[in-house]
Formats: sequence, structure tokens, C-alpha cells
Amino acid sequence: MTKHRSPQQLLPLTPPVFHILLALAREERHGYGIMQDVARQTDGALQLGPGTLYGCLKRMLAAGLVEEVGERSDPTLDDERRRYYRMTPLGKRIVRAEAQRLAGAVTVAMARLAGANA
Amino acid sequence: MTSESGLIGGFCRLYSLLLYAYPRDFRRQYGRPMQQLFRDRCRDLARNPGRIPVLRFAAQVMTDWVRTAVRETAAAVRSEDRHPARRSSVTEWAVTLLIYLFATTTLVQAYVVPTGSMEGNLLVGDHILVDRVAFSDPGPLGRHILPYRDVERGDIAAFLFPEDIRQTYVKRIIGLPGDHIRLDHGQVIRNGRRLVEPYVQHIASYPDPYRDNFPLAPEAGTTPLGYDMFEHHVRNGEVIVPPGMLFALGDNRDNSADSRYWGFVPRSYVVGKPLLVYWSFDAPTADLEQWTVDHVIDVALHFWTKTRWRRMFLVPLSQRALEVGDAQ
Repeated sequence: MTKHRSPQQLLPLTPPVFHILLALAREERHGYGIMQDVARQTDGALQLGPGTLYGCLKRMLAAGLVEEVGERSDPTLDDERRRYYRMTPLGKRIVRAEAQRLAGAVTVAMARLAGANA
Repeated sequence: MTSESGLIGGFCRLYSLLLYAYPRDFRRQYGRPMQQLFRDRCRDLARNPGRIPVLRFAAQVMTDWVRTAVRETAAAVRSEDRHPARRSSVTEWAVTLLIYLFATTTLVQAYVVPTGSMEGNLLVGDHILVDRVAFSDPGPLGRHILPYRDVERGDIAAFLFPEDIRQTYVKRIIGLPGDHIRLDHGQVIRNGRRLVEPYVQHIASYPDPYRDNFPLAPEAGTTPLGYDMFEHHVRNGEVIVPPGMLFALGDNRDNSADSRYWGFVPRSYVVGKPLLVYWSFDAPTADLEQWTVDHVIDVALHFWTKTRWRRMFLVPLSQRALEVGDAQ
């Protein structure tokens, strides 16, 4: 049901989806890595629980924003195999569009609020 | 999945049960990584534990669980309209069984009271649930979340009988390590102070110096561990409870085989705290120790009349004894 959507239809992104995409912007990560990075991005304000994280990933996979890149172990944690995810080109376009949308909104907000204060 | 010892492992098993709230397909696909994520976060927490982070994490996990289980179930129902799939009854039963097994082995356990040593508070034939979490030290992390507290004087406790650990006894804890204890005419004197025990019942028709003026000297009823107590832990006519041990007496003080006869209860033998009476059936001791055909027939025929309905869901309580003045 999500296949024929144009990128604009996916905006605005929910905060978890937006931050998950940002977490995958530079490198592929496993679930725990994504969760840690999202916490870092938001100064700990957004702690993704297991259900939220994997529910989002499920929908993002279906929408083609991310893809799985197989399982391997993370030597910094333990020898268990973890599923890694990476952003697709579509995901990159979407997160960029969302960032621009937010930047636009912030610009407008700052201008209005500055005016209101003066 | 690598095995994890101790509390984190326990929480992960608990979390794996929570996963059954999610639709089957979602669970199959993401159950394992979700458990991994949960465990990784538990490990994070174990590295710098504290009450606030642990509680915050627990709250987060619970809200995350409720919200997303609802959301995924709704999503599954919507897509099921298109391709219907049935959850088999085998799965349903397996889940029920799993929860049951987990609950009965880890959280509560059912026991029956076969003797009258706690009479007044627990009757012969009371079937009780024992809270196994209450008195079991859950370690540095769990201490902040689980309803744990150490055994105190006046608590009723279920414990393994030191002389035969296949049996479980229920008695009241009278002495903690370091306490000096003796009985004077059936009254307990603890650390030089006479106890007034509201929960005790005296039914003696005959005096028994061993029982009422403990500790005098070992006699026929004293077990090997009882002898050991007399030999090593009696000084100036008082028993001194050694470290790591407890002194337990029955509420039915004149008709109770307790620490007076078989010595101390090791703290590690304590199983838990009686939670409630879930069924009370008037039957003789022998029937309660082992199910016999006669007993089954008795229950079948007299279930309604011999069940003591008024005892249903009764909660056996810890009670403080009053300490009055100095004895002598």
C-alpha cells in the first residue's frame, strides 16, 4: 500500500522516523546502535523502546526508506548476530526534504517570534 | 542467544513473554532483535544502576510495550482483512502454559499446610500461595524495583525444613542473628525483654518443661540439628542465634515442632512469604501430605461442605510482638 507514494506524501515524518534516518545517514547500524545514536542526537530526550524502534523499521522497510543488510556480530558488544540496517537513496531524499521543511518552519518561527518580542 | 546469568536473564525471559502481546508475524520477524535490544539496555543499566534510571527504564519499556502492541495489533487486523490467517489454538495453549510455568516457579508457589503448628492463623488443610519474590534478595539492580525486604521478627515464612529439605515448613520468625532467646513458662524472652505475642495460642493441657522453659537440656524429641544448637549456641540458659540463621516458632506454641526441637533455619532456606489462602479444605494431615484415592473421593463428595469458605483469600499477616519491660 506504500509502494506508489511520492516522496512528498511521506512528509512530515514522525520524530522517531526522522531520527532513525539521521542515525543511518553516515553508516549502517543495528537496532541498539540506532537507539544509542538517536539518544545522542536528542540529548537523551528520545529513547526508542524496542516496540517503537522495530515498529518504525517495519514501516520504513515497507516504504523503502531503509533496507536490511544481513546479520553479523558487533565486536564491541558480544558475539551475537545482529541485524543491520542502512538507508536507501529514497530514504536519503526523504530525510533531506524533511530537514529542509523543518528548517523552513524554524526560519519562519524565529522571524515571527523575534518580531513578537520587539 | 547467549545465556545470561542472574537478574538480567530473568528480565529478558519476562520481556520475551511480553512479546506475546504482539501479532504473530511481527513477533516472528522482530521478536529476537527486540529481545536483544532490551538486553543491551539492561546491560547499560547494570553498569551504572540506581533507583531513578531503573524506574525510568521500566516505565519506558512498559509504555512502549502497551502503545506498540496496540498499534501493531491494529495494523495486523487491518491487513488480515485482506489475507486472513488464524492463530492456532496450539499457540494459545502454549502461551498459557508458559505463563503458568513462569508464574508458579518464579513468583508464587502453592503449598498446603499439613499440620496444626500455626493453628490460630493457618489451619490444617489451608492451601496457600507463597510469594517467592518477597524474601529472595534480587541483587543490586533488582533491589530497586522488586518488592524485596529482608526477613523481620514477626514475619511468617515458608522455608525448607533443615532436617529434610524435601519438606517445606511454615512458621513465624522469632529471632534474627544475634538475638538471645529463651522461654519462661511458655513466654518468649528475647534479648532480655518479655514478648507479648498477640498471634500465639496456648492449648497445653499438661506442662512440659522442655517446651515451656526452653532451653534446658536435649531430650527425646530433639533432632541432631537440635543437639547441635544445644551444644554450640546455648549460653547462660539462652539460645544465641548465629549469623545467617533464624529462630522460628509455631503460633500454636504448645503443639509445634519448631526451632526448639530442630534448631535454626538457615536464611538461605527461606522460600518465601505466605501470600494468601486460596483454598481451605477440612481434611486430616495424612491426606494432605499425599493425595490418595480416598482423599480425591472425599474432595469430590464434600467439596462444598468441607471447604472452609470463610478462609478463602485470607492473608496471613506479619505481626509484631509487643516487648514489655525487662524480664527479671
